[in-house]
Amino acid sequence: MTHFIAVTLYIAAFVLWIRPLLDGERSGGMNTAAIVAIVGIAVQAIALGAFVGEYGELPLVGFAPSLSTLSLTTGLALICALAMGEGGRIAVLLLPLMILLEGVAAVLGVRPAPATLDFQGAWFALHVTLAFASLGGMAFAAAAGALYLAQHRQLKNKRMGRVFRFLPPLATLSRMNRVGVVTSLVLLTLALGLGWAWTVRFRHSLQGGDPKTLWSVFIWGVIFAAVVARKGGAAAERRGAVASVLGFILIVLSYVVVRGAAEGGLFL
Amino acid sequence: MALAVLGVSHHTAPVEVRERFAFSDAEGVAALRNLRSETGVREAILVSTCNRTEIYLHPATEESAFQAVRSVLQRKAGPLPAPVTEYLYLHRDQDVPRHLFRVTAGLDSLVMGEAEIQGQVRDAYQRAADVDLDPSLAGPVLSRLFQTALSVGGRVRNETPIGKGAASVASVAVELARKIFGGLNRKRVLVLGAGETGELVAEALGRHGVEDILVANRTYERAEDLAHRLCGHPVDLTDIAQALRNVDIVVASTAAPHAILTRAILEEAYPDGLTSPLLIIDIAIPRDVDPSVGDEASVFLYNVDDLRKVVDETLERRKDSMSEAEGIVSQGAAEFLAWYSALEVVPVIRSLRSRGEAIRKAELDRLFGRIADLPERERAEVTTFSRRLLNKLLHEPTTRVRDGGAEGRADDVIEAVRLLFGDHGVEFADDSDSTEGSGRESGPTQSTNDNGDETA
Repeated sequence: MTHFIAVTLYIAAFVLWIRPLLDGERSGGMNTAAIVAIVGIAVQAIALGAFVGEYGELPLVGFAPSLSTLSLTTGLALICALAMGEGGRIAVLLLPLMILLEGVAAVLGVRPAPATLDFQGAWFALHVTLAFASLGGMAFAAAAGALYLAQHRQLKNKRMGRVFRFLPPLATLSRMNRVGVVTSLVLLTLALGLGWAWTVRFRHSLQGGDPKTLWSVFIWGVIFAAVVARKGGAAAERRGAVASVLGFILIVLSYVVVRGAAEGGLFL
Repeated sequence: MALAVLGVSHHTAPVEVRERFAFSDAEGVAALRNLRSETGVREAILVSTCNRTEIYLHPATEESAFQAVRSVLQRKAGPLPAPVTEYLYLHRDQDVPRHLFRVTAGLDSLVMGEAEIQGQVRDAYQRAADVDLDPSLAGPVLSRLFQTALSVGGRVRNETPIGKGAASVASVAVELARKIFGGLNRKRVLVLGAGETGELVAEALGRHGVEDILVANRTYERAEDLAHRLCGHPVDLTDIAQALRNVDIVVASTAAPHAILTRAILEEAYPDGLTSPLLIIDIAIPRDVDPSVGDEASVFLYNVDDLRKVVDETLERRKDSMSEAEGIVSQGAAEFLAWYSALEVVPVIRSLRSRGEAIRKAELDRLFGRIADLPERERAEVTTFSRRLLNKLLHEPTTRVRDGGAEGRADDVIEAVRLLFGDHGVEFADDSDSTEGSGRESGPTQSTNDNGDETA
């Protein structure tokens, strides 16, 4: 029930956020939207806290708990964006993503997975939390990148209408994109390092054929490419924005494929 | 009513005439002091901007007061191409709040919706309030009028899109720069040419805190002159590539017959590609910048037609929101007029109550004279009873008189009071009593210039 309340609040916040786009010049209501979104994030945090209290484990295993946690980390990224003034407008992309993730989790029911993993305890919690935070950072970078491309297009086509006025400056979006991809890469590197260290410590070998391992290495490569794409002069900003958007799409698509291949397993 | 405004604006006079009417702060204060001493007009506020000079007066019904204002303005302007009355307009009574509210909201401005006027009206009011005169030039009526005007102006800007968007070439340039770079405080500008529009754009960017302005012109002395005015630095026009390397924004407005900034020059400046986005504002005719420069992904090139299109779109949008803004102005004017009308009946209410109080006291004295041995406690009871009786009897008439005044029926309710209580029972207010109300005589409402022509 609490998860549904969070989804409802996210939807309300999203509607309030896009009002300035639909109404044209009026920008009122975005502060209310920010408050509603933050309340939604708090409600979702309470729901996941209740999960921990009830089942005695973190919501990191199983499809629905994972989606809900991913939605929460994206929400935390949104709170960071809200602190950046106009940058908070990436909420128009982050909120739909949060609605989708939390909505699916709420419909499926946020319950623990029936099976258990070998890899548990503090190592596991830290490993998965860092991975989720990394994905939240990538979602943040992709949202900023998408808005950068939209604003760039408005400027090149000399359109100074509602979209132009609504979107933050290119410099702000570029900075957010950079912070997002770099943070994402650092966090994922740490997460993978922890996973590798655990495997070496307790299993003495790395299972190269494990789809989860392969996928993790793949998305690390994608995020690394998005960081590298930002190297260079002025054109690199746009290249970096394209790379982070495409990278995020690739991560989502590859997740769907890998999850399908590992049906019935414990992959997320 | 006894409100009036006399003035000159862009509607009635060209700039070369308007500028003759512009008052400095000190001149304005001196003019208002003179007006009070010459005419006895108690409240007066002068609004002087580049597009208008207006003097608001209260109470002002006499032609002599208007003549005095005309003289003040004539003295300030000196000899004019035509008689001063040709340029002046006069609004009176209920047209005054509506006019001031439209002015404050930017609906009467040369560039509709401009925001600067709100601050200028606030300053004008503050200046009048600060003048060391007793009673204040910004008395109760004009204070209320100007405070309501500022509130209406704020509402119009907050609740309608009238002030949104860029409405001049310079403001479009600033908006573009902000949408590309965010803050402008570390940005450098290169101005090519010393044209007037280029200077305006550079000035606007300067006001938004750019770090440095470089000026290049065919004549180095003119570049030096403009750079001095813009607090920037002159550079050599023959080496544009060198100058380009260090700037983020280029404003081109030379009179050159051909493009002076080409793709080749850009590539010479940045052989390894641009290191950061470059905004180029080309307002020259013929164009100073080769259009192919804009093909570079990180170059944002805008010519004068692009900028004018944005300005036109903004003004069109502002026009679309006019009726909404006018609605707020009308609402504000109606509220002010209701307050003002209620003010007209205040002396009547006061007179009615004081007459009642006098009768009560006289009757009490008569009663206590007849019953001399009435104990103190009973005396107090009877006194309280008489006061309560009077209050209850007058409560309904007082409320109805006040409501009638607020509804604009001051004349009717005053006549009714006169009919019921007689002239002997109630003393009516004098027209000159501006602090307590402007009197019941409502002069003919006019909205004409001094030649009798109707004004907007």
